[in-house]
Amino acid sequence: MAGNKGRGRAAYTFNIEAVGFSRGEKLPDVVLKPPPLFPDTDYKPVPLKTGEGEDYMLALKQELRETMKRMPYFIETPEEKQADPKSKKAKDTDKGTSLANTADVLKKIEELEKRGDGEKSDEENEEKEGSKEKSKEGDDDDEDDAAEQEEYDEEEQEEENDYINSYFEDGDDFGAESDDNMDEATY
Amino acid sequence: MTQAEIKLCSLLLQEHFGEIVEKIGVHLIRTGSQPLRVIAHDTGTSLDQVKKALCVLIQHNLVIYQVHKRGVVEYEAQCSRVLRMLRYPRYIYTTKTLYSDTGELIVEELLLNGKMTMSAVVKKVADRLTETMEDGKTMDYAEVSNTFVRLADTHFVQRCPLVPATENSDPGPPPPAPTLVINEKDMYLVPKLSLIGKGKRRRSSDEDAAGEPKAKRPKHTTDNKEPIPDDGIYWQVNLDRFHQHFRDQAIVSAVANRMDQTSSEIVRTMLRMSEITTPSSAPFTQPLSSNELEFVGKSGDSGGGMYVINLHKALTSLATATLESVVQERFGSRCARIFRLVLQKKHLEQKQVEDFAMIPAKEAKDMLYKMLSENFVSLQEIPKTPDHAPSRTFYLYTVNVLSAARMLLHRCYKSIANLIERRQFETKENKRLLEKSQRVEAIIASMQATGAEEAQLQEIEEMITAPERQQLETLKRNVNKLDASEIQVDETIFLLESYIESTMKKQ
Repeated sequence: MAGNKGRGRAAYTFNIEAVGFSRGEKLPDVVLKPPPLFPDTDYKPVPLKTGEGEDYMLALKQELRETMKRMPYFIETPEEKQADPKSKKAKDTDKGTSLANTADVLKKIEELEKRGDGEKSDEENEEKEGSKEKSKEGDDDDEDDAAEQEEYDEEEQEEENDYINSYFEDGDDFGAESDDNMDEATY
Repeated sequence: MTQAEIKLCSLLLQEHFGEIVEKIGVHLIRTGSQPLRVIAHDTGTSLDQVKKALCVLIQHNLVIYQVHKRGVVEYEAQCSRVLRMLRYPRYIYTTKTLYSDTGELIVEELLLNGKMTMSAVVKKVADRLTETMEDGKTMDYAEVSNTFVRLADTHFVQRCPLVPATENSDPGPPPPAPTLVINEKDMYLVPKLSLIGKGKRRRSSDEDAAGEPKAKRPKHTTDNKEPIPDDGIYWQVNLDRFHQHFRDQAIVSAVANRMDQTSSEIVRTMLRMSEITTPSSAPFTQPLSSNELEFVGKSGDSGGGMYVINLHKALTSLATATLESVVQERFGSRCARIFRLVLQKKHLEQKQVEDFAMIPAKEAKDMLYKMLSENFVSLQEIPKTPDHAPSRTFYLYTVNVLSAARMLLHRCYKSIANLIERRQFETKENKRLLEKSQRVEAIIASMQATGAEEAQLQEIEEMITAPERQQLETLKRNVNKLDASEIQVDETIFLLESYIESTMKKQ
């Protein structure tokens, strides 16, 4: 057809000058794959603002986060509450120990604090169901504390005896799993 | 709601209220308003738990409800309100600078609990302040009440909508959900309470542990069983007023940077005088009677000259400055020069850009394309012929500030979501170590309280080895950095949101 100059030769359908490339110039490389997930940046990010106000707000933020977790508005899922089957056992054994034990003193303090918080927020929570759930939460907090105490007791007892732990090999699955994949194969 | 916003809301709800509330909240944000049974069915949670979660969300003003026809009550989540949770530290800190510790604690309690009666707030704050005072001193309720009244007068706290008092009781059954109303005049009306009392100091934990059995504790905390005098009158924090304050702060500091201290004082005074008379989203302040940026303009000659602050212009300037700064930090100062050039001249061709910016063609091209790919600048086609042939069309570079601001805002939401996730990841990685150090601290604290010797304390402290201590230090530093970054990205979010809102209102 008329207007089809230079058969087979590449021709642009638009005026290449308009976009800024002069004719015959080397065009930039074709992009073959998506950009990398963490591309290199030429410029480092600006440092954060520091100052009294910022420090105070930072402390506030962290405190708020902790406080909100302890408020009655924080609802835990049922799976988390039932996660410790051994906590029930711990609860029974703890009842037998004497109050003189430091660990128990700590547990009592935490229970009482949580009880106190639970009582204060009764005014705000109007539903009957809510208050029933809260008393259940209070019990669950006990269980959680008991579980924590039990873990701690184990560790303390471990350190009091004379056995050197490295003599006994733990299984491969014992202890905290490290999430980084460094040691895939050790020969 | 964009995906980035929903993700961020999900992270925030989960951190502050737990998994169940998060599930319900995110579901409502995604699907809009739904009745109770549909929520329970779609999310697969029991009706009981949905009710609890909704309670929490409504208490915190994150979900509202409405009675629709045929008596169906539908619940709707407010995504933007959830995002405000990022800004809580800033609200509390601002109150501290304006009304010192008492005000700070009042706002903190209100934010933590969503809605509260005045008497409950006063009592709680007085107790908390008493804790921090020296032995023997207590905080008087009157002082706390005074601060509360001042906060209400300057509109920083407001009344929540109430159930309307029906004089003629309906013969039929009551509606499934009350429709809450609030009169404009009553919003800041403080009830006449005579709160007499002093803050109670909570007894130190030793006495509690040794002396009182558990059963006795409840009696102490709820010892006043009299009916609360202002029952039913709940207060909440007025976030819009805080935003107005932040906006004024930003404008004043911008003026101070651009001009001198005196001009900024003038602008500050003008803003303060119109604080209460202007609604928070007005484009202009009420005209006042007594000089020149684009911010301040003359609106008349009565009374010797009426001057007005052009708030929309001010916000536009601030948003544009943010965009420029982002371009500069990401792409370099040459790119920033091109960006400012296109911004100023509105529409430019490729050739003109090279000429005006005095940058060689190749580099200019490269930079323009980089900015184009990130959507900071856009191309505008101007056809010469009706058939829009590309060879006969002008292609002009332009900056559309509104859409660039939206794009940047979206990016900010993504950034904060990333920051929160990274922080949670770091904390989870070192969970075991954190728990161990917390236990050790608790033991040390309790041993100190019961009077232990130095040697024992030393022994306990050595339970944490030096490399573990190092790890803890690094963790703490990283978490602090991530938290501080969140707070500062939120400042940018505030500016951009204010600008977008003001522009939308204007149209």
